[in-house]
Amino acid sequence: MQLSRRTFLVQGLRVTALLPALPNLAVAARHGKAADRVLVVLQLSGGNDGLNTVIPYGQDAYYRMRPFLGLRKRELHALDDSVGLHPSLAGIAELYAEGRLAVVHGAGHPNPDRSHFRSLEIWHTADPAGPAGDVGWLGRMTDSITKSSPGALSALAIGAGNLPLSMRGESFLAPTVRDPRGFRASPEGEVVRTARDALLAGEAAGDLGFLRQAARSTYATAARMSALTDDESAADYPEHALAKELRLVAQLVRGGFGTRVFHLAHDGYDTHARQAPVHNELLRQVSTALTAFQRDLERAGIADRVVTLVFSEFGRRAGENASKGTDHGRGAPVFLMGEPVAGGQHGTAPDLERLVDGDVPSTADFRSIYSTLEEGWMGVTKSTAEPAMDLLRPI
Amino acid sequence: MTQPWDAATAAHLFRRAGFGAHRERIDEALEAGRDQTIESLFARREHDPALVRGIRPMLALEDIEPLQSWWMSLILGDGAPLIERIALMWHDHFATSHDKVGDVRLMHGQIELFRRMGLGDFRELLHAVARDPAMLVWLDGNANRRGRPNENFAREVLELFALGIGHYDEHDVLEAARAFTGWGVDGRRFVFREAYHDPGAKSVLGESGDFDGDDVIDLVLAHPACARHIARRLLAEFVLPEPSAQDVEHWASVLVAADWNIERTLAQLLRSELFDSDSARRSRIAGPVELIANTVISFGLRMGPRDAVRAASDMGQALLRPPSVKGWDGGRTWIHAGSWLARHNTLTELALEHGAGRVDAAPALGHPSSKEEVARAVLARAFPEGATPAYTRELEAAASAAADTSEAVRHVLALTLTSPEYHLV
Repeated sequence: MQLSRRTFLVQGLRVTALLPALPNLAVAARHGKAADRVLVVLQLSGGNDGLNTVIPYGQDAYYRMRPFLGLRKRELHALDDSVGLHPSLAGIAELYAEGRLAVVHGAGHPNPDRSHFRSLEIWHTADPAGPAGDVGWLGRMTDSITKSSPGALSALAIGAGNLPLSMRGESFLAPTVRDPRGFRASPEGEVVRTARDALLAGEAAGDLGFLRQAARSTYATAARMSALTDDESAADYPEHALAKELRLVAQLVRGGFGTRVFHLAHDGYDTHARQAPVHNELLRQVSTALTAFQRDLERAGIADRVVTLVFSEFGRRAGENASKGTDHGRGAPVFLMGEPVAGGQHGTAPDLERLVDGDVPSTADFRSIYSTLEEGWMGVTKSTAEPAMDLLRPI
Repeated sequence: MTQPWDAATAAHLFRRAGFGAHRERIDEALEAGRDQTIESLFARREHDPALVRGIRPMLALEDIEPLQSWWMSLILGDGAPLIERIALMWHDHFATSHDKVGDVRLMHGQIELFRRMGLGDFRELLHAVARDPAMLVWLDGNANRRGRPNENFAREVLELFALGIGHYDEHDVLEAARAFTGWGVDGRRFVFREAYHDPGAKSVLGESGDFDGDDVIDLVLAHPACARHIARRLLAEFVLPEPSAQDVEHWASVLVAADWNIERTLAQLLRSELFDSDSARRSRIAGPVELIANTVISFGLRMGPRDAVRAASDMGQALLRPPSVKGWDGGRTWIHAGSWLARHNTLTELALEHGAGRVDAAPALGHPSSKEEVARAVLARAFPEGATPAYTRELEAAASAAADTSEAVRHVLALTLTSPEYHLV
């Protein structure tokens, strides 16, 4: 059933209705306690070129529209007889072969918007109609998780950028961990530590009491995190920043830090000119980092607790531009990685003979992916009415 | 009754109407008296012109960092503290982010608008902001056309910029949006595109007519909620975070009586009993930019503007990149594990490194000659109003445990700057 449906899809035919979601309980029973499950979201910022990530090498139109950027079949990691992964995605291809990777074709939103800002706003708030509020889908998720475990750092943004809108909740504002070694109190401060602890002791009214409490719990959190992240030995990660950030996520999950939602961003995908070398390197980093992360989770025996979502605000135009680059487009593939994921291809593979204004249209509503992760994985109420997809493994 | 003009009152004034003051400025202020000090705050426009102009060649780089550093250098330079303070307030109020605008020159133009007009007539400022190219890009002016109005700007004028929720309805938003149709940007200039403008009759806030954007702004300004909205913003920024309804009402009427002139309103506000009151002092949790600037200026420390911009970003306030059109939420939302750690690490390193011979805090502390004097000297700078005996004892103990005077300065400073008390301004 599954197999025939996928075969059906990758031949470029459309299905309008997605299969209904599996019942929550069935998934919950398969993958341990809901309260231990973790969602990692990796945002490829700038608009990743979906057609050069999952390449429709079986379509002549691809080579016609991309005389310079088109990737040849023999360079690719073929997923079947019509699509293949970018040459840099060797590790991802291995995960795909093992059934650890789901590719959702043509993910995007109705009312497509070619503005980075607006498009991200839509992905972050799960609201394509706007006006954008200031609460994101992961923030809402975290609000709900935090209600049942108050005091926990249920969500963390990792990396150097601003806190993404997706991570802003009504009541919970996710802290940002900028150092890939985790929160660390400056070691120089240790010389005055005893006196500092004395100054923080004791209750006080109003904002002073609030600040003391925040400071005390921050130092305790930093100490706890440092203890988990001091061990750099175990896993084999590449040296680039994204890999180090994912290593931190693995350390925190393995160490039982308690965070359920992680957000990371990988920047540089706005490849309007001379795209190939930049894109090759970016995808190499994504592939090596995600593979190292997944292998680390497997070795630690916690791979059944973690699902990773990889998305970008939009794909790029089907045709390359005159600067050996690509401009802003619409739909693009989304990856879901992890042991609980239903590996394989989902949704409708792009048909380059049926573009909309020169773009791959959005054929899978991103909110359906969110619904799957909200209801089916994290066990929270879904934030939109969109039906979930069958992206998680059945029992 | 206003309180006596002493070091604590003067420091309060400088923390609120600027970004702190070093020892000499407090001494000068005590000598000059309250009135003259407040007057001089309004008069001070002594930026190094090279500093102000220096940004121009950098604008072509299309990188936001030099612009952030430029503004931070004006703040840290302490040449025109009230101008930068009010510009920072308007930047938060009319919060516009480079993340969407994506044009450094437009962002520069908007900050210059706030610096130039921020202390003037609010009505003129609101009209100017409505035509500001960065704002038009930020809130989709170009997309607002006859027949398919984009409500983004009209909504925020009503909700955030001038009235506040509860003083308008969805119908007002839609009708106001129609009035702003055709207001857009051409190149980097405001343009009115007649063909896109909807000239028909509109009804906004209970009035009807063939309104254009300027008419709507005038209607908004005539609404009684507008003066209250701006008075509340001024009170929250300069006096206390949650002013009473009576205080808001009173200062709204002062604002209107002053012909909406922000400078004249502030001149009265800074001299008011409310401003001096105990409930106003230390009633705000310092935002990152003011925390850093206060520290650098009060203790005569040196921090490069670029480092200061990054530190403030780490603490949650990236200049020119506010998180949303609502600006920074401020207050307790400044503080969470990540941001407190950023505060701790930045201030600890600043305190401990400067004494290591690079920059000496001793002048700002009046050259303490012994370890015993250090705690008193630091307290006099950080808390001229005094500290609790327990707090004082901890600083004294840390000083006496230090190897020498210079180490005592570093340790006591590190303790003070990272104590929660110091983050209340």
